[in-house]
Amino acid sequence: MQEPVFSYVPGTSFLHTLDPRTKLAAVMLLGILVFRTESFFGIGVIFALFIALASFTGLPTGIFFRAVRPMLLFIIFIFLAQLFFTEGKVLASFWILQPSIEGLQNGLRLSARFILLLLFAALMTASTDPSAITCGIERILRPLPLRWLGVNSYELATMMNISIAFLPLLFERVERTKAAQASRGMYFGRNPFHSVPALVIPLIRGIVRDAEELALAMESRGYQGTRRTSMHELLMQKRDWASLFALVFFAALLLRF
Amino acid sequence: MIRFENVSYNYPDGTPALRNINMGIRKGEYIGIIGKNGSGKSTMSLHLNGLLRPQKGKVMVRGMDTGDFSKLQGIRKIVGIVFQNPETQFVGRTVEEDLAFGPENLCLPPMEIRRRVNRALAETGLEKYRYHSPKSLSGGQGQCVALAGVLAMEPECLVFDEVTSMLDPDSGKTVLERVKRLHEKGKTIVYITHNLEELHAADRIIVMDRGRIVLEGKPENVLSDPSLRALGLTPPSLIELAEHLKNHGVAVPWEKTSCPSSFAEEICRLFLKM
Repeated sequence: MQEPVFSYVPGTSFLHTLDPRTKLAAVMLLGILVFRTESFFGIGVIFALFIALASFTGLPTGIFFRAVRPMLLFIIFIFLAQLFFTEGKVLASFWILQPSIEGLQNGLRLSARFILLLLFAALMTASTDPSAITCGIERILRPLPLRWLGVNSYELATMMNISIAFLPLLFERVERTKAAQASRGMYFGRNPFHSVPALVIPLIRGIVRDAEELALAMESRGYQGTRRTSMHELLMQKRDWASLFALVFFAALLLRF
Repeated sequence: MIRFENVSYNYPDGTPALRNINMGIRKGEYIGIIGKNGSGKSTMSLHLNGLLRPQKGKVMVRGMDTGDFSKLQGIRKIVGIVFQNPETQFVGRTVEEDLAFGPENLCLPPMEIRRRVNRALAETGLEKYRYHSPKSLSGGQGQCVALAGVLAMEPECLVFDEVTSMLDPDSGKTVLERVKRLHEKGKTIVYITHNLEELHAADRIIVMDRGRIVLEGKPENVLSDPSLRALGLTPPSLIELAEHLKNHGVAVPWEKTSCPSSFAEEICRLFLKM
């Protein structure tokens, strides 16, 4: 099976031991920093920070490539759009396209920013257990008055957990429905639109039934959608505060120059 | 421990699923509930911990009425259900997380949750799969995870709702062995099935048909009851054989009908006597 993008790699590095909230805050902070830094030098420094952190954790480099790859087309598109449609000193002239120096700079800057964002996100997800991330998000959301929206942070966290857990089951069901229809003479190759209703209707019926069974099982195990505790103990420790402080310091320093 | 008092329940379309059920389950009892599809046995199991509430009559669990919303959490702490399909019972991405789901709902402190998860893992022999996805396991192991998830809530009474019907016979046997062991440890067991072969070890069997209890008693009486076939149920083959032998004047005692080897030994013993 192909490894999923943004998967968790268990380990014991410094980044692994940090509180998920620290890492969430750090990724947000770095996101802002990346888009606030104008100079190529600054972007280079952030890139160096990433390389330092990544080599520090000892994570396989493959996961970072995998994180950027699905977005590569989008990044290339942004780069080309910036390159050709920014007004400025003309670099060269091909047919009606006239790339400019400013365009080249903008394009490079923007694509570097997106790549950095993806890399830091990958660094977080690779070094944090997904359930710890949901737990962290839940804890961050808890003080917000979400009940005005008709949900609470516990429900949101459970929803996130279940949707991630149920994705594989969904794909399996698609395959099974396809096979069942194919065995009854359905031909999927010719006209994909033709086969959509024959696939979707049994699929939805199956999913609704699965969901009902799951809801029963959850209720039977005492789920009420209200306050619940978690097996993961979240405790902000000295190293969490120290890391955040160091990061803020780094950001302030970088924005100065 | 659990009491049904004049319980009736209709499906949303109006067909009755349970008609005026009265029964009781004592602490430490091992009860088998059988009936063909649509006889109401699964509806009955959902009433045991308040997943369904009776439309008429009431269900009492340790003196708590399942119709009382404030008591539901307490009732679910006492009665846990393992369902038929292992795949749709998993909530967590790893076995460990899935087992933690119940205790987390009970709002236990993290330390206690860990202790219970570890204990349930040890009890079901799943330690080596702690960080596996429950979906990557086989059907039998999956059902073990589902059982462990219920065990982590430390209920007194465990309900098994056709847990073996999606498993191969071997894994089915393992699950059944596990059920027996839990009963020996003092848990109250309600085992729902349409396979009579699985109920030899029960203390009492309840036979359901069209929403009613039609037969109730000790396995030796119920499993050899001549009316079973008319209810669409197949008696265990060894017990049927023993009945036929009895008609020919050869009596095989009940205890020997639980497995082919003890049955064969008994037959040989009888032959040697002749």
